[in-house]
Amino acid sequence: MALLAAAALALTGCSDGGSQPAAALDPNAEPQYTGTLSILTKFGGDPLEPYFEDLAAEYKKLHPEVSFELIQETDQSIKDKTKTLTASQAMPDIYFTWAGSWANNFIDGGLAADLTPIIAPGTEWGNDFGESALKAFAKDGKYFAVPLYNNGKFMGYNQRIFKELGLTPPSTFDELISSCSVLKGAGYEPISFGNKDGWPGLHYLQQLFAYEVPADTLQADFSPATAKLEDRGYLKAMDQFTRLVNECTGSGKDSNGVLYTTAQQALAEGKSGMYYQEILEFDSTASADSKLKQDGLGIFKLPAAADAKGDTQAIEGSPEGYIINARSKNAALAADFMKFVTNSQNAAKLSAPPYGQPSAVKGAVSTENSSGPVIEGIKQVNEASAAITWLDSVTVPAVADAWLAGGEALVAGTQTPDQVLASVRAASSAAK
Amino acid sequence: MTVSDTAWKPAASPPAPVSAKSPRNRTNKPARSRRWRNFVWVLPAVLLLGVFAYLPLVQNLGFSFLKWDIYSGRQTFVGADNYVRMLNDPIFWKSLLNNTLYAIISIAFQVFGAIILAAMIEGLRSQRWRGILRAVYFVPSAISLTVAGLLFYFIYEPEMGILNAALDVLGLGNFTQAWLGQENTAIFAIIAMSQWQGFGYCTLLFSVALQRIPSELYEAASIDGVGPLQRFFSISLPLVREMTGLMMIVTVSGAFQVFNEVMVMTSGGPNNSSQVLGTWLYRSGFVRNDFGYAAAVATAVFIITLVLAVIQLRISKKRRVQW
Repeated sequence: MALLAAAALALTGCSDGGSQPAAALDPNAEPQYTGTLSILTKFGGDPLEPYFEDLAAEYKKLHPEVSFELIQETDQSIKDKTKTLTASQAMPDIYFTWAGSWANNFIDGGLAADLTPIIAPGTEWGNDFGESALKAFAKDGKYFAVPLYNNGKFMGYNQRIFKELGLTPPSTFDELISSCSVLKGAGYEPISFGNKDGWPGLHYLQQLFAYEVPADTLQADFSPATAKLEDRGYLKAMDQFTRLVNECTGSGKDSNGVLYTTAQQALAEGKSGMYYQEILEFDSTASADSKLKQDGLGIFKLPAAADAKGDTQAIEGSPEGYIINARSKNAALAADFMKFVTNSQNAAKLSAPPYGQPSAVKGAVSTENSSGPVIEGIKQVNEASAAITWLDSVTVPAVADAWLAGGEALVAGTQTPDQVLASVRAASSAAK
Repeated sequence: MTVSDTAWKPAASPPAPVSAKSPRNRTNKPARSRRWRNFVWVLPAVLLLGVFAYLPLVQNLGFSFLKWDIYSGRQTFVGADNYVRMLNDPIFWKSLLNNTLYAIISIAFQVFGAIILAAMIEGLRSQRWRGILRAVYFVPSAISLTVAGLLFYFIYEPEMGILNAALDVLGLGNFTQAWLGQENTAIFAIIAMSQWQGFGYCTLLFSVALQRIPSELYEAASIDGVGPLQRFFSISLPLVREMTGLMMIVTVSGAFQVFNEVMVMTSGGPNNSSQVLGTWLYRSGFVRNDFGYAAAVATAVFIITLVLAVIQLRISKKRRVQW
């Protein structure tokens, strides 16, 4: 057995890796308009899939010698695909990233090209973007990704139902709970909720943590090196979450067996009064042929409790972007293509239905091309005191996984907030 | 009436005369050359098996002693640390328990349940109905596990699923629940789907085994006044025991390698309650970035299935039916 293990180790071989800080991209490098650009997108499936396909075709018309290899994945499948490609050292020239710990893995691993000379605030390209969007992918003063679109989480509601029942968007958490009983009395599901994948619950929790835990403490707790996870605000936020699940959702403790798309559909069909969703979902929830489109989709920020001790002006959400592979031989061409993707015309196209992805390019979201809820959502994101990155990408995977399991346990009612916090603390401690 | 290991043997045919050109009379050199030629024929298969089955197995063992950061490519030797963590990991033990449950329930349904069903089908007088029933029971096995998993996801759906709707119609509304969304029912709901999917395949194989039993044995037993139940226990069951052994190996190995249906239906949730070893090693690697630990879990799965297969092979070898 020992001999076999030794042979196995010899076959795998220990290595200290080849990671070095990625060299900055040369701003004066002229792209060679030839060869194949490989791109991993998160635009798989309808209605997003044609976006990169059309852009690739248009770019090819301008530069016939350039061809494309598009790998289009969905929100659910892109994590596996990215990790498989990373482990097999086959990352494409351009690839999708979330902000936070997800992007930092590539930056620390030397897989993200340093784009500072061409995209930092103050540069010609960088001036096209809002500074906060660029900073979401910055580390140690350097910029590592092209922000493609902004995002934020809001409670979407059916304006007709609210009007009929004399409801107005609640301004406190207690008002939200009170409105649930009115909706329930009128025969509607107050808030549709599907937590089969676990992350919808995490989105509620992260927004409530931002409200209930002081901002500095929360930021320190995201990193296992500085985390204590002892603030009482976590327990209060988890209590609020379980109250919302039990008093406002139709599925209650059964929500772990419901898909988030089923919940989204309930709002789209006018069966539920509210559904907590990302800006990216607004146009697909209220699609042209949906009942919600006729009734009207309104949005409001998940209301905080009146005595919340955290940052009640913060909004959960962060831009999503694209990294240029530091090891790509086509880095200059990749940068040129991303400039094409983010020019004003293509940015406006991205922000308009059917895509409805609010571009991170300044001025791209306007009344001419974007729906009312998308414009309102982006306005509120820009006015927020802080953008809080998703709980499953802001911290290390083992801690995020513990939060995910804990969120499911809270929904099912099999663990108390104290027990969940203890298990997350243990995971964070082990990840130090 | 019972049938022992060697009780029923067809009359042995007389040994063939040794011809002057028989291999035994040849010199050693051509025999050796023929052996090499034979080896050349099997070499491609051996090479493929070596490269795509055994080499990854050995490499996986190597990875299980490392801490591997896939982003930087950094690999650090950590000795048996991943194995120590595994032994102290409650989710690993929960997964192992779920796999064991899977194996026990699968043996009950897919091995013993399938023998009974096969015997009932083969006991029918109508050839036409035997064929129809074999096909009816086999159809679920022709559906891919992923499709079956999705199908059952919608059957179990708490609000729109037909299972809860059927319970309501039958006046059993108190039993409706989120079958995949509750920690105490999720794994059983998945196992139930798996039985539905695999039951027909096992039945078909047992039907084939039962058809091979000479009808004279049943006729003789009937003349002696033996009833159908005793015929099943004294003739059918002992004479299909080789197939039973094989099905036990396939079923138990399958139960410890289960992955697709769990991923499709619950991804191991809620709160890791339906986690099995396959999904836990996947989650450890692809979600938690802990590839060294995932390799340790994979090694544990390999050892468990190997040991179980060896034990079962030895037992079934001793119980071989000779014709």
